[in-house]
Amino acid sequence: MKAIFDRVFIQPLREVFQKLAGFAPSLLTGIVVFAAGLVLAWLVKLLVVRIIRILKLDAAFARSGVTEALQKMAVKDTPAKLIGRMFFWLVAFIFFVLALSVMRVPVIDQLLERLLLYLPNIFVALVVLAIGWFLGNFLGRATLIASVNAGSKIAGPLSKGVKGVILLFAFVMAFEQLGIGRSTVIAAFAIMFGGVVLALALAFGLGGRDLARTFLEKRFKKNGDADRDDLKHL
Amino acid sequence: MSGKTPDAAGISRAKTAGLKNVDILVGIPSFNNARTIGHVVRAVEAGLTKYFPGRRAVLVNSDGGSSDGTTDVVRDASLDLDSILLDHRKGAFRKLVIPYHGIPGKGSAFRTVFEIARELEAKACAVVDADLRSITPEWVELLIKPVLEESYDYVAPYYMRHKYDGTITNTIVYPLTRALYGKRIRQPIGGDFGFSGRLASFYLGKDVWASDVARFGIDIWMTTTAVANGFKLCQAFLGAKIHDAKDPAADLSAMLHQVVGSVFDLMEDYADIWRTIRDSEPVATFGFVYSVGLEPIPVNLEKMIEKFQMGVRELAPFYRSFLPDDILAFLTDLAAQSDRGAFAYPDSAWVRTIIHFVLACHRKLASREHILKSLTPLYLGKVASFVIETWESPAEEVERRLEGLCRSFESEKDYLIERWNGQA
Repeated sequence: MKAIFDRVFIQPLREVFQKLAGFAPSLLTGIVVFAAGLVLAWLVKLLVVRIIRILKLDAAFARSGVTEALQKMAVKDTPAKLIGRMFFWLVAFIFFVLALSVMRVPVIDQLLERLLLYLPNIFVALVVLAIGWFLGNFLGRATLIASVNAGSKIAGPLSKGVKGVILLFAFVMAFEQLGIGRSTVIAAFAIMFGGVVLALALAFGLGGRDLARTFLEKRFKKNGDADRDDLKHL
Repeated sequence: MSGKTPDAAGISRAKTAGLKNVDILVGIPSFNNARTIGHVVRAVEAGLTKYFPGRRAVLVNSDGGSSDGTTDVVRDASLDLDSILLDHRKGAFRKLVIPYHGIPGKGSAFRTVFEIARELEAKACAVVDADLRSITPEWVELLIKPVLEESYDYVAPYYMRHKYDGTITNTIVYPLTRALYGKRIRQPIGGDFGFSGRLASFYLGKDVWASDVARFGIDIWMTTTAVANGFKLCQAFLGAKIHDAKDPAADLSAMLHQVVGSVFDLMEDYADIWRTIRDSEPVATFGFVYSVGLEPIPVNLEKMIEKFQMGVRELAPFYRSFLPDDILAFLTDLAAQSDRGAFAYPDSAWVRTIIHFVLACHRKLASREHILKSLTPLYLGKVASFVIETWESPAEEVERRLEGLCRSFESEKDYLIERWNGQA
């Protein structure tokens, strides 16, 4: 009876304890590494926020419209705090990965390897999104100023359209980089973009016939100077 | 970039062989001006013959690769001296037709003129536009004589213009340049100038020939460089300036970007100088000032106000990034003004607007091109207000009105300096 009890309960328990005792140093090392990482991440966050304040980047973010955009997305933090927090989680994540690899669990090692190989894609996607954001803002504003100066009645929507298309491009490229629904995203984008172009062509073609005729008449007819303005500015 | 380019120097040496120590050099930059340049060349030749008979003179046509036969017109242009009661003289007047090299633009054409002036050791020089219709032989006298006989280094033009002609000059360039550098040069971007050989060499020594100065902005650059570096300067009354219409499709915002941008750039270069200057003083004016009958200029007031309103409405979020709240509130109220008669953009608000555009460019608060081009609707608002205010006024009264604007710019200079220095 005792032999059976030993074989069924005591021996497996002993094995579990032995394994746990063997794994304990690795686990402890992992926990220590992660804890150190958290402390370091906190210090990095403080440092980054301090640098951003010294370089007065917060004002630059406000001027470039980043702060306003964040507020519109219901993000209450300032860009400085947000960047600091991003650095905190980046360092914390790196140390978490380090802690897991210190523990040498085969399944986790495999997962980590795949994750590390995927990380460059995330980085590239983020860079693409950032470039798209700045380019969208810049060209959107350039369009707005140019169309206001040209006296276009649709300056606002035109500018938003340009910005939107560029952001859409950036998102499509980012998703493609991440390999998320690659064919679906591209097909959806192509259909949508084609649809927009077709709609615009139809709108201009059908709705703008009279406008085009008036414009051409004004441009090429000698008479019809009601709109004339001969100011020499220089 | 201050040295000669091999091509330009090579051409000038070959073409100027046998010439040295000339007294007078007149430069005419050109690009497809076949219709008008013949008249300009004849006027210059008549002026040199009539007013400087004993002097060695050279006319330089610095051409930018015209395809309409401009250079042929220059070569063939001849003057019937008998018809204008002048005696013939031989060998004292030479014409040089030289294509300029480098960045296409009036500045590069001028650079070639300066190089030849240095090469020939010219004592006095003048440059006149190739599209002038109102140039007379007297222009040559008025631009050259102050240099040759009165030891002036720079002669700015002073034209009689319609009250609504040259509105960028009147509302921005003249008052701002005057307030900054303390000299009342009425047409700082006139286009026709006289200058000494010494000043031509000084210009050549400046490292600007690969910048926007080579393309555009040479006029304000020449004036500002002469003023800021303490050269002796004056202005000459030339009468009316009538010239071929510029490209009618030329975009106003591009014009503002180029001209106002050049003034702002020069403020960076000469900040140490203009920050020490207070008030302004008149400069000597040569020539017999007389009134000229000027063609009326049609003004579309409604269109200007509409563009101002739309600009304020659409660009308000952008303006908010560099204009103070009180100016923005004023602009918003003015844009909402429905009574055209009450539409008024006072000088004080206009001066503050310009100062904050200057500061926005200085502090690089956004793309420089965006800042400058976004000035267009506000400028149209100011012009519309000016037109409403002076509709019934004669030229003298309008000039007095502009004097008031200039004084507003001068009185706000401390406000600008404090902010430029980062003290406010």
